Amino acid sequence: MPKIKYFFQQSWLLIISSFCFGLLIAITNAAWSPRIVQNKIDKLNRLMGGLLPKAHNFQLQTELEIESAKGKKVKSTIYKALSDAGECVGLAFNTSGPGFADRIELVVAVDDNFQNFAGYAVLASNETPGFGDQIKLPYYRNQFIAAPAAKLELVKTGNAEKIDPEIVAITGATVSSEAVLEIINNSITQIKDQMLKKGLISNDK
Amino acid sequence: MTNEPQATSVLYKQTLIAGLWRENPVFRLLLGMCPTLAVTAAVKPALTMGLSVIFVLFCSNIVVSLMRNLLKPHLRILMFTLTISTFVTIADLFLKAFQPRMSEILGPYVPLIIVNCIIICRAEACASKNPLLTSIIDAIGMGIGFTLTLCVLAGIREILSTGAVWEIPILPAAFVPWTAMRMPVGAFLTLGLLLGLVNAITKRKA
Repeated sequence: MPKIKYFFQQSWLLIISSFCFGLLIAITNAAWSPRIVQNKIDKLNRLMGGLLPKAHNFQLQTELEIESAKGKKVKSTIYKALSDAGECVGLAFNTSGPGFADRIELVVAVDDNFQNFAGYAVLASNETPGFGDQIKLPYYRNQFIAAPAAKLELVKTGNAEKIDPEIVAITGATVSSEAVLEIINNSITQIKDQMLKKGLISNDK
Repeated sequence: MTNEPQATSVLYKQTLIAGLWRENPVFRLLLGMCPTLAVTAAVKPALTMGLSVIFVLFCSNIVVSLMRNLLKPHLRILMFTLTISTFVTIADLFLKAFQPRMSEILGPYVPLIIVNCIIICRAEACASKNPLLTSIIDAIGMGIGFTLTLCVLAGIREILSTGAVWEIPILPAAFVPWTAMRMPVGAFLTLGLLLGLVNAITKRKA
């Protein structure tokens, strides 16, 4: 009993402060989270629009659950990109996985028959500024445009301008380059398989 | 007795201006080097970082000053960190909600304010030992000093790396941008030169 009394004598301020500060953060988060979520949706739409410039609007197609390389379940939302005439001009989905510093969230776009990549964009990442955050730059991103929508391979040297399944890593940011490739490789195969099973895309195209 | 309010007023004034020059956190105390080097490639993110630090410093100094008589010596750093992290989280949420572009540019450097030495230093050196008003004035002085320093550094780097300030072009089109100024080397170079300049001015004054 005296030990408990001593414990509270020493730490009552810490306990009360933790409770008050936690409450303050919870209230702030509750007040601003709808706006933060809306900002994320706007950004996703903007990025998808950049990857599929022919798209006029994006229609939610389905939500799938995929397994990351480390066995963690990740939810991926698939959007159908529709042109002015209402034709499907591609598909885009969000995915994520571990990066060098923190989780990397990506939006990946493929053509309408899931044959080639239309590119990827970074939705959120905390990769090292000046090094790992180069995954956002055109040098690395452009290598994915028109590459076959299948497993890609990371190489340290090669021709970055050639459209092939070989992606040349960013110098000084191999871990981040690998992380992006692993996220894309992992999600593209699983999403393609699940969409084929659901009949959302067909094999014959 | 009649001189007491005047002395207090002088003390407040000295506390306020200390952060601007005599005890400038960056140029004189060499504190908060991480954001100083990392977010000063342009004026907009530097100003956002400065304002975030002012907010956190202001709020944490108020809380620490109010609870200074209740603080247990061995738990004080824990209390400072808890207080600072609360306000940093609020600042981070605010930027994500109302300034998403800036939040994206600043990235991990906003949450890193939690371990910014300036804030812990002011909590320990000033707020935990002084009454509320002195702590508030100290926070404002130090915060403005830090923000101005970041903006000066960012202004120089932005002009030389893009020919513009606040994204408004000010140098002639013929100007060849110094790309290196946007990179870490530019931050170290500019900071080093400014520190040398401040030292030279201080020595001349002395």
